[in-house]
Amino acid sequence: MNRQNRIWRTALLAAPLAVFGLFVVWPLMSSFYYSFTNWNGFNPNYDFVGFANFGKIVTDRLFLNATINTAIWMVAAIVLPTALGLGLALLLDRKLPGARFFKSVFYLPICLSAVIVGQIWIWIYQPDWGLLNTVLRHVTGAEHNWAWLARPNTALWSVIVAWSWQQTGLSMVIYLAGLTGIPGDLLEVCEIEGASPWQRLRRVVLPLLTPSTVVVVALSVINSLKGFDILYIMTGGGPFNSSDTLAMHMYNESFAKFRMGYGSAISVVLFLIAMVVIGLYFRQLRKVDRIYG
Amino acid sequence: MAESTPMPARRFDPWPATIFVMLAVLAVLFLLPTAGVVLSSLKTTHDISMGDLWSLPATLYLGNFREALSNPSVHRYLLNTLLVTLPATTGSITLGVLAGYVFAKLPFRGSNALFLVLVAGMFFPPQAILVPLFRMFNAVGLIDTLWPVIVVHTALGIPICTLLMRNFFATVPNALREAAIMEGASEWQVLTRVVLPLSLPALAVLAVLQFTWIWNDFLWPLIFTKSDDKRTIMIGIVNLKGQYSVAWGVQGALSLVASLPTLAVFLFFQRYFIKGMTMGAVKG
Amino acid sequence: MAELTLDRLRKSFGSQEVIKGLDLTIADGEFVVFVGPSGCGKSTTLRMIAGLEDVTSGAVRLAGQDVTRTRPAGRGIAMVFQSYALFPHLSVADNIGFGLSLQRLPRAEIAARVRAVAETLQLGPLLERFPRELSGGQRQRVAIGRSIIRDPRVFLFDEPLSNLDAALRVQMRLEIARLHRRLRATMIYVTHDQVEAMTLADRIVVFNEGRIEQVGSPMALYERPANRFVAGFIGAPAMNFLAPGCALLAGLAVPAGAREAGIRPEHLALVAPGDGAGGSVELIERLGPETFAHLRLPDLPDTVTLRLPGDSGVEPGTAVALRALPDRVQWFDAAGRALAATRG
Ligand SMILES: Nc1ncnc2c1ncn2[C@@H]1O[C@H](COP(=O)(O)OP(=O)(O)OP(=O)(O)O)[C@@H](O)[C@H]1O
Ligand SMILES: [Mg+2]
Repeated sequence: MNRQNRIWRTALLAAPLAVFGLFVVWPLMSSFYYSFTNWNGFNPNYDFVGFANFGKIVTDRLFLNATINTAIWMVAAIVLPTALGLGLALLLDRKLPGARFFKSVFYLPICLSAVIVGQIWIWIYQPDWGLLNTVLRHVTGAEHNWAWLARPNTALWSVIVAWSWQQTGLSMVIYLAGLTGIPGDLLEVCEIEGASPWQRLRRVVLPLLTPSTVVVVALSVINSLKGFDILYIMTGGGPFNSSDTLAMHMYNESFAKFRMGYGSAISVVLFLIAMVVIGLYFRQLRKVDRIYG
Repeated sequence: MAESTPMPARRFDPWPATIFVMLAVLAVLFLLPTAGVVLSSLKTTHDISMGDLWSLPATLYLGNFREALSNPSVHRYLLNTLLVTLPATTGSITLGVLAGYVFAKLPFRGSNALFLVLVAGMFFPPQAILVPLFRMFNAVGLIDTLWPVIVVHTALGIPICTLLMRNFFATVPNALREAAIMEGASEWQVLTRVVLPLSLPALAVLAVLQFTWIWNDFLWPLIFTKSDDKRTIMIGIVNLKGQYSVAWGVQGALSLVASLPTLAVFLFFQRYFIKGMTMGAVKG
Repeated sequence: MAELTLDRLRKSFGSQEVIKGLDLTIADGEFVVFVGPSGCGKSTTLRMIAGLEDVTSGAVRLAGQDVTRTRPAGRGIAMVFQSYALFPHLSVADNIGFGLSLQRLPRAEIAARVRAVAETLQLGPLLERFPRELSGGQRQRVAIGRSIIRDPRVFLFDEPLSNLDAALRVQMRLEIARLHRRLRATMIYVTHDQVEAMTLADRIVVFNEGRIEQVGSPMALYERPANRFVAGFIGAPAMNFLAPGCALLAGLAVPAGAREAGIRPEHLALVAPGDGAGGSVELIERLGPETFAHLRLPDLPDTVTLRLPGDSGVEPGTAVALRALPDRVQWFDAAGRALAATRG
């Protein structure tokens, strides 16, 4: 029996582990390796440069800028859709005419790709005939032709709004599922004990949604790391690097400037940052596990 | 005392109406961007350049769709995307099922640690492995083919597929597996005949998520393909921007056409998708 | 003080009426048990008393005050659920103190009162645990702790012990009885367990299809059921129902209008062959202190249950003769109503 189990285990795990190891773990290791070289991408000859790439990072103004933008992007791209999706789910979690229609409307953008979302929002932000400025003109009566995506102080946040619009539906669906999973008798205890609607939300509903939040945050982190696409489409990191993130910076260094060694160093740093996030996430997960099993 | 008390009229509760109005306003706001694309796709370039992209079209103009769909490049792009998405979706789910089954039903010493390593793979930025992968596929001469895109999507899908499948398999009672084994079933038969048929909702969730992510992806085909007849639809749309630079309507029509497959997949699996989310995903 | 009155209480879900007019007065400090078949409306009644379910018509009065439209929290009622309904994210202490903390009482006062409650329920060492880390009996004690901490006027229990194993059930039953004696509060208790109902109740209320069939002390219901339904429902194993003409009832005076007779298993006795109705033993159930024999009689469609002493040596398949104690036979008319007792 035990031998049987061992054989099956090996047989079943072989393929997934092989693929994952070869195309994820191994490249990750090589990334570390390249980060100590000055490889340019084509030339088979390259030199070891020690920690030179990392030394360059410390003095790279653009790297610092990209790191700050990445932090802003990650936090906003996780917090905004999560909060919005939670709000929508709380509103929708009741008997309402048209509830199915509302859910579909809020979910719809998830099916669209970053390329398409980017294009839609480029039209909305278009200075002359874009929807946003048109509405602003009508509402205020004044002239508005602000180029949202071409101004350093609005570019990143304009993309974040577009991103939130797209991602909200996913967290809404997960929170709705979480809300239906809250046992009715726990809410009845709130009634009997005299909890106000606010107390019920803060002290019972939100804590009980923790498992959903774990999933939402996980998916948001994954998706926001992929946020490369939408930034590439909408701003390309510009103007004047005002929406440049680490992923974009690394892409530019590696594939536009052909400094693969330096690009690898950036991805190593990006990876280390991700490890910190993962660490925090798993610590939270253990706490959740104790309570919810 | 015995007088039966007439029920006082129900207190008027303003909440449902308020919430309905709030949701209606939000729904309109949410629909606006998509509506813009639909509207643009139904207007002539002339109409749009007159400056009313956002108004209702006077007549239904289908020329943009005709233009977009008759472009042979678009056919190529769509076909390429399908050739990437179908195998990568199937592949990543299959591998996730295999690994998830072991972690849920055949745990061993160290399996939890291994599982955590796999799941951690979900969180790290894919850009971190871009350069080595490029070099690896370059070395075997696969750059500018669809293969690297398929393989990388399959590999990167393993963490999420393993996580969801393990969590779902964990909800299938062990007694079912043991009963089947007592009856003489092999582990493989337990998986394919007993456990998998019970896991359709989880498979549906993964099918929707993976199909959508892979179909919509931009980064990997951008890195691994060069020539126009190897590009996928999302890259194609960006490339065609030049060709249709002022033809907003054609761009809109293209976007809609490119989004239809993911919409169709979602609608097809919708019932299972919601159920799978409720049953499996919430248990982190 | 906290006398509870239900006045022509009705409840419909959509077009389906599930509570069809209840009138009931429960005295202050009384322990009342609701019993009845599944789906007869016990939980619904309890939830209307708690205020969790809207009343379709009629009134709930508490200490003379109409509380029909009062919010649940304003009624001074506590409820203990079958599922315990503990908050998984709160420790035992926080679960017990939940209601107090909602009222923003000082932390120290809450802690002191939680500790006092925990002592009486032997939960002291468990205060820092989470519900997941407790056994079923401990969870139920936490649920009870949460209900008593606010000094409610009325306690409602909806099958609180049905998720526990038999031994724990007995232990918790005693604890609830002790609790009632100490608090002297009004308690309403729903159960499917005959022993719980008989031992805990001052009065038992028998429900059937949204109506009350009979209200009375446990022994009154057992000895003088108002109708065939109550007679059959109270008592385990159930009363035997017989057609008036059968051999077992031969020689008994049948009251006018009687359509059916009932006799409890302990009121049948084995006699020498020829002295009573003949039959054969089909099945024997030995419980230790007593033994139940299921007998097949030639002129009855169902088996007849008979109680025997624990050391009775009867074996399945033996032929026996039995007699009914004449003054213990109950008679029912065509509508199922009990006829006046024929006992001398
Ligand atoms: N929310 C509801 N909507 C519609 N019908 C309901 C609802 N709640 C209860 N009912 C119906 O009301 C009747 C009484 O239900 P109730 O839960 O009070 O029974 P009960 O006596 O507590 O049964 P049990 O012993 O099984 O707990 C049942 O027929 C049930 O189907
Ligand atoms: Mg009930």
